[in-house]
Amino acid sequence: MSRCQQVVRPLVRSLRQGPSSTAIYQSPSIAIRSLSSTASRKDEGSTTQQQGADATTGGEELPSALLSAELGSRRRRAALATTGEVPFEQLPYQCFQEARKVLNQDRQEKLAKIVAETEKIKRLEAADASTMRGGEPFKQKRLRSLRAHVEELKILADINDPLVKRRFEDGMGDMSKPIYRYLANRRWRAMDYKIMTQRITQFNIIPDILPKFDPTMDVKMSFRGCQTQPGSLLSSRITEVPPTLRMQVFDRGERLLSVVVMDADVPDLDTDSFTRRCHFLAANIPWDPTKNLLSLRQVGSPQIGGDLAVPWLPPFAQKGSPYHRLTVFVMEQTPGEGPIDVAKLKEIYDGPGREKFGLKSFRDKFGLGPVGFNMFRSEWDEHTAAVMERHGIPGADIEFKRQRIVTLKTPRAAKGWEAKRQKPKYRGLWKYSKRIA
Amino acid sequence: MSLSLNLRGLASRLLSRPTATATSTTQPLSSFSARCTAISPITPAVAPAAFSTTSMSASGYGGGAKTAKAKGGKKKGGQERDPKMINMLKHLSILSPRRIPPPLRMARNRHLRHWTIHRAWLLFRRREREQRERTLMRQYQSMSAACEALRLTDGPGTRDQGYLYRVAMEKKGVYGHNGVPIEYARPLTDTPARSPWNHDWKP
Repeated sequence: MSRCQQVVRPLVRSLRQGPSSTAIYQSPSIAIRSLSSTASRKDEGSTTQQQGADATTGGEELPSALLSAELGSRRRRAALATTGEVPFEQLPYQCFQEARKVLNQDRQEKLAKIVAETEKIKRLEAADASTMRGGEPFKQKRLRSLRAHVEELKILADINDPLVKRRFEDGMGDMSKPIYRYLANRRWRAMDYKIMTQRITQFNIIPDILPKFDPTMDVKMSFRGCQTQPGSLLSSRITEVPPTLRMQVFDRGERLLSVVVMDADVPDLDTDSFTRRCHFLAANIPWDPTKNLLSLRQVGSPQIGGDLAVPWLPPFAQKGSPYHRLTVFVMEQTPGEGPIDVAKLKEIYDGPGREKFGLKSFRDKFGLGPVGFNMFRSEWDEHTAAVMERHGIPGADIEFKRQRIVTLKTPRAAKGWEAKRQKPKYRGLWKYSKRIA
Repeated sequence: MSLSLNLRGLASRLLSRPTATATSTTQPLSSFSARCTAISPITPAVAPAAFSTTSMSASGYGGGAKTAKAKGGKKKGGQERDPKMINMLKHLSILSPRRIPPPLRMARNRHLRHWTIHRAWLLFRRREREQRERTLMRQYQSMSAACEALRLTDGPGTRDQGYLYRVAMEKKGVYGHNGVPIEYARPLTDTPARSPWNHDWKP
């Protein structure tokens, strides 16, 4: 949310709730909007583009009365009167224009450097490796570092542009360009990545499921349109339908992804322990940085692509079993190896193959690398039995209980101050020795 | 922004004046300041400095050297602060609301312009710095080359090679006539004494 809105919001609220009788009708909508987490970015986009929009249409829009050119300070009125149609980068502020000159000069230098480096790369590619001292490995290493340098220069050329910043903040950034990918990565690393790594360690995903794992792509999960916090306890009625993943990769290029949803805490009575179960498995989903939304329900459809190997099984936790960690792993398939054989996947993991699913063996069998992660938890609740019945899952009537371990020691007479004073001889002390908590 | 706000709150809480109940703790300090006044004719450089810290924190929120006037040992409320507290406040005063400006509140376009100017300023400073570093490095290397040339020259008359270099490297007279660096005589300490010099000391 922009600063402008933060400042004006209480004003708007008081204006709305003040004299009019519609305040009763409007105030709940305001409260809901302020609590919702997804709407803020939409609002941000709308502040600059729909400034003239009617106040009554949107929930958080600024009323047009506050934005009109007749209101505000003398300075603002003068500025609006004289610079109504001037685009942002040509606004006649002297310091701003001088700053733009400095930044432009730097940008030109960076662009010249990019051209020079690209020429260098071309020359090096054409050169014969046998003439170099380090031979072919040296050439490849040099090429790699030069390419990385060019990528860095591309980012540096654009990072000081206010329009780039504005477009990114509005969510209008073109993710096929390195600068927007860089900014998105920086924003993700700032908070969401930290939360995700915290969850991974808190819930012992490392080392229970994978020995080593560091997410490199952003995966957000929403059930029925509501985004969930990673690791939250969700009702089984909510998780009956497959979630939608909002995925963002930060490195360029096309790739194929696999998505696995697995339950890491299935009680296993035979070994008196826990095993894993596969709840969803899809492979060969084509993905690139410009793509954003993956509905697990629509995997396999022509507009999304990919192959569904194991359909969604609603997560369920039988009564008495501790909470189940349901983990969503996004795995990247080895580039250049082509799609995975789905028939083989179905043969291994569908039906009875769901049980005792091993992510490590899946990774090793098909040459995958885990890149993205999200998770939620599920417990027995009042809807679980109905969900299990609807999907034909047996075992809703099973309740797990801790087995009581009977002591092998022989019973001994009670000892101690209280035990001694249980006798009628100490009747006067019974209030201290009997029925004490 | 929230961090600075927190610091502002913390600083204003810490910098608020103590309540009037803390009279017993102020006893030793008042005796200390009385001793200071007693010896002030002997060491005029010491006593005003001690008073200046008190008056600075008393006159409010680390106004800096401008308010560092000797107002006498007493504050307005007639109370003294613990010297440790004074020391802490001196360092905390950079967190005071006077030193930390309030967060800038700007509309979006104006914030973007501000950001642009800020980035340009950072870029300009970086360029200047790198230019300066380059110059310094060039000068240093040219000096080093000159020294090397001097080392390889044969001296005047019958002097051997490198005589000129040895003479040039001597530091005679740098610390004054027959002097030594002052660090050899007065070791630097992290925790200097509260009274820097004991004038009454007799061997």
